[in-house]
Amino acid sequence: MIRSIAQKEFISTLRDRRFAVLSGLVLLLLLAATLVGRASFRTLQQERQLAQQTVNDKFRNQPARHPHRVAHYGSFAFRPKSGLSLLDGGVDSFTGSAVYLEAHQQNSINFSQAQQAGSLIRFGEMTVAFVLQLLVPLLIIFLCFGAFSEERATGTLKLLLSQGVTLRQVAWGKIRGYSQAVALVVAPALALAAALLFTGEEFAGGLDLVARLALFVAGYAVYFFVFVVGAVVVSAWQVSSRAALVTLLGLWILGGVILPKATANLGATLYPTITKAQMDAEVHDEAQHGIDGHDPHDQRAAALKADLFKKYGVDSEEKLPVSLAGVQMAAGEEYSAKVYQQHFAELNATYERQNRLSEWAGLLNPYQAIRPLSMSLAGSDFAHYVHFQQAAEAYRYGLVQRLNGLQASMGYGDKERRLDASTWQKLPVFSYQAPPLGWALPRLLLPVAALLLWAVGLCWLGLRLISNTSVS
Amino acid sequence: MRVFSILFAAEWRHFRAAKGLVLLCGLLLATGLYGIYYGTTEIARQRQQLAALPELTRRNVEEMKAKFPGPADAGDIGYYHSTFAVHHPDAWAALSLGLRDVNPSYVKLRLLGLQNQLYATDNTNPLKLLSGNFDLAFVLVYLLPLLIIALSFNLLSSEREEGILPLLLAQPIRPATVIGAKLAFRVAVVLGLVWLLSVVGMLWAGVPLDGRVLSWLALSTLYCLFWFGVVLVVTALQRTSAVNAVALLGVWLLLVVLVPSLLSLGVAAARPLPQGIELTIKQREEIHGGWDRPKAETMNRFFALYPQFRDTATIRERFVWRWYYAFQHLGDLAVAPQAAAYATGLQARHNLAESLNLLSPAINAQTSFNALAGSDLPTHLAFQRSATRYHDALRAFYYPFLFRKVAFTHTDYGQKPRHSFTSQPELATARRGLLKLLLSVAAVFGLGLVLLRVRPVLPR
Repeated sequence: MIRSIAQKEFISTLRDRRFAVLSGLVLLLLLAATLVGRASFRTLQQERQLAQQTVNDKFRNQPARHPHRVAHYGSFAFRPKSGLSLLDGGVDSFTGSAVYLEAHQQNSINFSQAQQAGSLIRFGEMTVAFVLQLLVPLLIIFLCFGAFSEERATGTLKLLLSQGVTLRQVAWGKIRGYSQAVALVVAPALALAAALLFTGEEFAGGLDLVARLALFVAGYAVYFFVFVVGAVVVSAWQVSSRAALVTLLGLWILGGVILPKATANLGATLYPTITKAQMDAEVHDEAQHGIDGHDPHDQRAAALKADLFKKYGVDSEEKLPVSLAGVQMAAGEEYSAKVYQQHFAELNATYERQNRLSEWAGLLNPYQAIRPLSMSLAGSDFAHYVHFQQAAEAYRYGLVQRLNGLQASMGYGDKERRLDASTWQKLPVFSYQAPPLGWALPRLLLPVAALLLWAVGLCWLGLRLISNTSVS
Repeated sequence: MRVFSILFAAEWRHFRAAKGLVLLCGLLLATGLYGIYYGTTEIARQRQQLAALPELTRRNVEEMKAKFPGPADAGDIGYYHSTFAVHHPDAWAALSLGLRDVNPSYVKLRLLGLQNQLYATDNTNPLKLLSGNFDLAFVLVYLLPLLIIALSFNLLSSEREEGILPLLLAQPIRPATVIGAKLAFRVAVVLGLVWLLSVVGMLWAGVPLDGRVLSWLALSTLYCLFWFGVVLVVTALQRTSAVNAVALLGVWLLLVVLVPSLLSLGVAAARPLPQGIELTIKQREEIHGGWDRPKAETMNRFFALYPQFRDTATIRERFVWRWYYAFQHLGDLAVAPQAAAYATGLQARHNLAESLNLLSPAINAQTSFNALAGSDLPTHLAFQRSATRYHDALRAFYYPFLFRKVAFTHTDYGQKPRHSFTSQPELATARRGLLKLLLSVAAVFGLGLVLLRVRPVLPR
């Protein structure tokens, strides 16, 4: 019986001209967004790869220079786009794409897409995720708002029940029929995206990508299911089709437009972010006077010098087998990097506190559950960005310390001399490996739990509500 | 006229009785107030942050004085001493924050090459940037149309569906009067809300009493009227309430979400931007090449720009500051065309988007609000130009010390040029926006009236 109801709903939906027009539009937008996403992915990826290649070549082909000059010349790290980011750009447009890596300081990651797009970007970006997260639910609402209320208004619900079916069975049949119709709209676009992902040679495929895409699709399937069930429940609960539609649209606006913005803003108000200027000043102070304020830079340098003299049993700098400046530079870098790390950790903790409000709001609002899940799977969320930031810093620190080591080994009077051009050929260049899915899994727990809770909760409570609803 | 006022009064009683509608209006009022609160606290926070910068500079000067107790080489000061170019918000920015969170509101400057300092960003939470600002402009541009839709999607259709319309039309009343009175009542409610919120916002933000008060009110009024025009068109088509709701929400989706995001893609494709990072890389090559080039070559290129220093002594030392700053200066000069192209490219994108915003009154309203508040891209570019001039002034201040070998004393810190920049509104943009909005309003009302004329109102 459930099956024949499902079939009836499926077929009558397909025959409905309004549905055909709306779903045609959504499908068109999905396909367009996939192609646009791929085009912009390609451009950005090529630009960044080329730029990374250029700076790497430039770094390796430096003339004979003093190593500390090379440390100041530095390098750049460009953030490669992750494969699935063509489906969900996440925060990518609002994070910088390149960071200058040099001795002594950690620079900001500059040149975000948002800075280059003007205020239009604040209206939202046309990505596959946007269509899936906001427009498909709208389609579902238009599809299902009359599920019960219309049958009730026309009196067919009574007829149906006289056949010996329960309300619960009717509801399941409808949910199944509508779900099939929604799948018909979404599947072609996701299939195209998958085809693009696995045939394009620019995407490093592999099992990781397959797993991410599979979870991505599964996540959205649950998300759409929640909307189908929710819409059917509201349709049964409200007196008229009109009331059901208005309620559903109101919930969509609340969940899709108002809540995400309000929680993000509230988080930022509750936990203010320190400015870069203030943070840099504090880092400088602590590097100068010691993290506890009682270990000034000059004293540290003097102690280091005395230690070196003792270690090598000499009484003057000229007799040291290593360059004092190089050793001191390395110690200074180690200290300042430690200070920077503490401050960056604090800053990221502030951001995480700010974002936590939005994450927990996922329990109230399915949109705020699917959004982090989708971004995280696409590798375009805040955590993946921090991963890049840390990889760039690890490379910077390693490079600068290696150069300091080279300087130390030059011995006394290193400032007058240079190291051969071939030295730079042997140094590693920056190449970034995005983290595997396993790394991202712990962050998926909350959004996955929220989505499943919604699905199970709605099925349980909602269908109980339906079986108690009035028939006429 | 009497009929009109009777209908108007009936609407008022009807509205008071409908709890849901009153609740919706209350909800909009609440979100509007939150928007104002958020905007003003955000601007207050930015002001507070900017106010803390002189203290950082003061502490830096203290440190410099301790490090160089006697007369110092100005080269050391230029290298270690940092100062700030600051972009103060206009009071109006509290109502429309625009891009003030995406772009930094200060730049830390040293005497070194400018181009690798100018594009540094402040600490920002990307997820917060993605979610956007919940300011009054957002409430007016995004949410207000939804309230208008909720209040009026069943303007006539509910009367028909409840069977009242035949009774109403049996009276000696023209259908146009019925629609007019119903629409007028809703316009009065919504405009009352909008003006209340705007005035509260202006008072809270403490804006100066100038022509912008009227411009803001005119913009928001016209934007509301545009949406009522859309309601009129949909009402004139005389479909069921459900169809009306879907159609109106579809228009909202089209104008507030789809057109802006497609326009953004179109503008990016039509006005490709030279990569900002390219100029930073090129400048680095130039500056670091300076270490390896013969000193005479660098100095001769520099003296071509500053002939007044040509008589300074030839450099024989391994390192002197004036040579160092000369090649820093030349590094900026080498990328001047790229820097200009980057800035004009950004401006060109903005201009194209602005000239096409007739496509969506929502973009138009947002652009115009931002223009009034001076919180959009052009203002940021003006700030960058101002910061560039400030850096030039710093060079003009330090160069005589460096080239004339004048010692830098403690009193000289006070002589250093200072910087301050406050957002200026783009009144011309706002005026154009107002005109275009007027055009949109005229278009939808014209269409609505024509439709009403050709399709007589049917009682059922």
